[in-house]
Amino acid sequence: MAKTINIQPVTRIEGHARISIQLDDQGRVADSKLHIMAMRGFEKFIEGRPAEEVPRIVSRICGICPWMHHTAANKAVDQCFGAQVPPAGRKLRELMQVMAHISDKILHFFFLAAPDFVMGAGADYKIRNVLGLAQAAPELAAQVVKMRQAGQMMLERFAGKVIHPVAMVPGGFAKPMSQKERDELLAGAGEQLEFAKFCMKYAKENVFAKLDQDALSLGRITTGFLGLVDPADGSLNLFDGALRLMKPDGSYLDFNCRQYADFLGERVETWSYGKFPYARVWGEGFSMDLEAPKGIYRSNTLARLNVCDRINTPLAQAELEEFRRRFGRPAQSTTLYHWARLIELVYACERVLEILEDETITDPLVRNPVEPRAGRGVGCVEAPRGSLIHDYVTGDDGCIASANMIVGTTHNLAPMNMSVRRAALDAIKGGQVSEEALNQVEMAVRCYDP
Amino acid sequence: MALRVAEEGLSSCSGCEVAILNLGERLLALAPQLDFVHMPLLMDHKYFGQLGDGDLKRLEIPQAELGLVSGGVRNQEHLEVLQAMRANCGTLVALGTCATHGGIPALINGLANAELMERYYRGCETNDPAPDPTETVPPFLERVYALDEKVKVDIYLPGCPPHPDHIAEAVLAFLEGREPALPHKSVCDACPTVRQGKGQLKSVRRFLQNAQYDPAKPIADMRCLLEQGLLCMGPVTRAGCSGADGEAPRCLKARVPCRGCYGPVRQNGNQMLDMLNALASNGIDIKTLPDRAGGLLRFSGAHGRLRPRPAAK
Amino acid sequence: MAFEPKILAFSCNWCSYAAADLAGASRMQYPANLRIVRVMCSGMVHPNLVMEAFSKGADGVMVLGCHPGECHYLDGNIKAQARLAVVEEMLDAYGLEPERFRLAWCSSAEAERFVEVVTEMTEAVRGLGPNPFRPTRPEDAQEVA
Ligand code: SF4
Ligand code: SF4
Ligand code: SF4
Repeated sequence: MAKTINIQPVTRIEGHARISIQLDDQGRVADSKLHIMAMRGFEKFIEGRPAEEVPRIVSRICGICPWMHHTAANKAVDQCFGAQVPPAGRKLRELMQVMAHISDKILHFFFLAAPDFVMGAGADYKIRNVLGLAQAAPELAAQVVKMRQAGQMMLERFAGKVIHPVAMVPGGFAKPMSQKERDELLAGAGEQLEFAKFCMKYAKENVFAKLDQDALSLGRITTGFLGLVDPADGSLNLFDGALRLMKPDGSYLDFNCRQYADFLGERVETWSYGKFPYARVWGEGFSMDLEAPKGIYRSNTLARLNVCDRINTPLAQAELEEFRRRFGRPAQSTTLYHWARLIELVYACERVLEILEDETITDPLVRNPVEPRAGRGVGCVEAPRGSLIHDYVTGDDGCIASANMIVGTTHNLAPMNMSVRRAALDAIKGGQVSEEALNQVEMAVRCYDP
Repeated sequence: MALRVAEEGLSSCSGCEVAILNLGERLLALAPQLDFVHMPLLMDHKYFGQLGDGDLKRLEIPQAELGLVSGGVRNQEHLEVLQAMRANCGTLVALGTCATHGGIPALINGLANAELMERYYRGCETNDPAPDPTETVPPFLERVYALDEKVKVDIYLPGCPPHPDHIAEAVLAFLEGREPALPHKSVCDACPTVRQGKGQLKSVRRFLQNAQYDPAKPIADMRCLLEQGLLCMGPVTRAGCSGADGEAPRCLKARVPCRGCYGPVRQNGNQMLDMLNALASNGIDIKTLPDRAGGLLRFSGAHGRLRPRPAAK
Repeated sequence: MAFEPKILAFSCNWCSYAAADLAGASRMQYPANLRIVRVMCSGMVHPNLVMEAFSKGADGVMVLGCHPGECHYLDGNIKAQARLAVVEEMLDAYGLEPERFRLAWCSSAEAERFVEVVTEMTEAVRGLGPNPFRPTRPEDAQEVA
């Protein structure tokens, strides 16, 4: 008999979602959807707010990656007001944003995703989580918790507030870094890098080594990719750069973030509050058909590693080379998001050290005063979950006249729907529904870390 | 027996949950005494059975002694989840300012739903305009509600997010069967800045350039930001963000003014009214403040405080 | 049924309350819509009280004090004046018409003036209709389980 299965809520993800799977009379998967269940409307309710206040408001879009929204918003307001950020202000901003990537990746890999691999996809749900992991591998868990905490405290000690930060301001940064603070951060960052190396090694031995063909084809789809690259050399850049939109065949277009609306569009479906971005510029329209997708591209870690030409830090570059040798470019396997995430973890740690080693970071000039005025600004950064775009228009009073945003996770809404379909088709056969099968469908979603 | 804990996020950002995780090693130490029976961010208990075949009218939350809920109530699903949490949890904690006062998402309460939908699904530059989604998604309520507008709340833990020290205190107090010791004064009370009286101040200015201070010196040597002429919500905001033994309120540590993220000092206070009154009583022309309602009720727009302007009707 | 506004007046002990008394003693007619709360000084009326009156369903609120310079406590009425701006601002945020609030002065001898201002106010509020802020929709009533 035909029926609908509801996976609600989708768990161990950052947002709020539901999966519905329709089985037909023969028990075959006839349809499936990933529904986004809520919409808060930041684009609308920041209208009329003084633009310089907005970076402190939009951080609340996501409590896991508030630094990303904080950074993108500041960059957008800088442009609206025509502000010039002093060099040390810019360095502090990049430092904070890249540091925030570190704790985020540890959180996602170990707290959210790893239980599926370490405890097993079919383990009892009561232990298939970070607390179960803590019992099964107490030393590992203690180390992970300690290092994630250390990363958060490094941000907090310097910037005051780590969840929903306030230290970046239009025109720069609210406080300079003292030599003492720099020394402390350098020491902490060195430890974070050591831990990143350990994570990579641990994952390669215990998780990635076990990725067989089945695991690699979980939720497999073929799509294009989007990510920021450094315009100078096409290298990975989380903080700034040009957007690169790659087709499934590996060819790509680079464009200035301000032109994003010419390249990307957003679809609305009747069954999800989330909108579905697609590559408008490809001119093929939008379709989530597994066999013939149209306009579908992906964002987030795997996308960034696919679009970049290289990584300018040595350890991460070595990892990227190995990754490319094994999986090609662009790599399409959805499960590889996790691998790519750990390569980015190594990059983020190396990059943080690089920024801190620059002694001009302690320059006391960190902010130039700003003048409210009419303008438009598009702030773009790479958030852990994908390319983040904040586009603001201000009026003469420097208050927001209109705003548009595409947040990281949103880019992946169409691909996630496709991966869910793929995983459901593969895991549910002949009407046999097991907890493990349903968890596999969710694992396809978790790769994207939505 | 371990204390059973259920946790949920409604119209929220997961920041409150990250604040729980930021207990770090303290959480690991507490873990043996706690049994998390439901917590979507970390574990896989589902509303409608682990096989997804349950009755959609019977949302299941396991029984727990302690329930934590972050986020306000924005749609039908939030309401159902909240009611199930209330029914199944002995003690219900409103976790974070969204839950206690609506938080940032309640800024939408200054607008009608139709305006939001028009902009979001038909107005944005990147949009291919389309009708509002209505199938299989939970309908919106008219506005964002704080939890206690819908169910009884036992413990209020404001903060955006609440400081981990106070989350730990609430849980520990519960384990020990006593009242949690939570701060009840104002942010100013926990602020070490130098106060010399307001001087000739007649207006407050926007935060367009940094405050005046010597970065080499501690915060205790900086002049109060309100006295420097910057809007600082410290006087009308509940203390707590500096933690159990913090040096200063969090934003002040970054040398930026408070924006009121812990909500009003008293649970049913009104930050806008209190701040305007404080400014006016000190001879400051309140009209010099831009975006007064949206700015002063930034975190506490639920409870009918922030409403659509008649002109927008 | 015709709309009869509910109007709350905070009157100071020394001037306006005495004026109301005098009006009553002189058998002057004034609208029955008025509920008077005696306060020692108009300067005591915190905007909180005014806003609470609105949130509890008052259709109009008045604060009545002594003429400037005649305050029994020197400058209480001047304080009341400074707070006027706060109430106006709050009314705006709550989407209420500014005419629903009025600050007026009248001395203890001005019974006629008292009758005049409260009558004016009653008519003005009658024209505005009921306070939309009054919790009427079941949605707004607290559904405490
Ligand atoms: S109170 Fe703040 S941290 Fe908590 S859910 Fe609301 S916005 Fe997020
Ligand atoms: S107004 Fe702000 S700066 Fe001044 S004491 Fe209060 S919190 Fe501190
Ligand atoms: S200073 Fe104010 S805005 Fe900042 S964290 Fe504390 S309460 Fe929140």
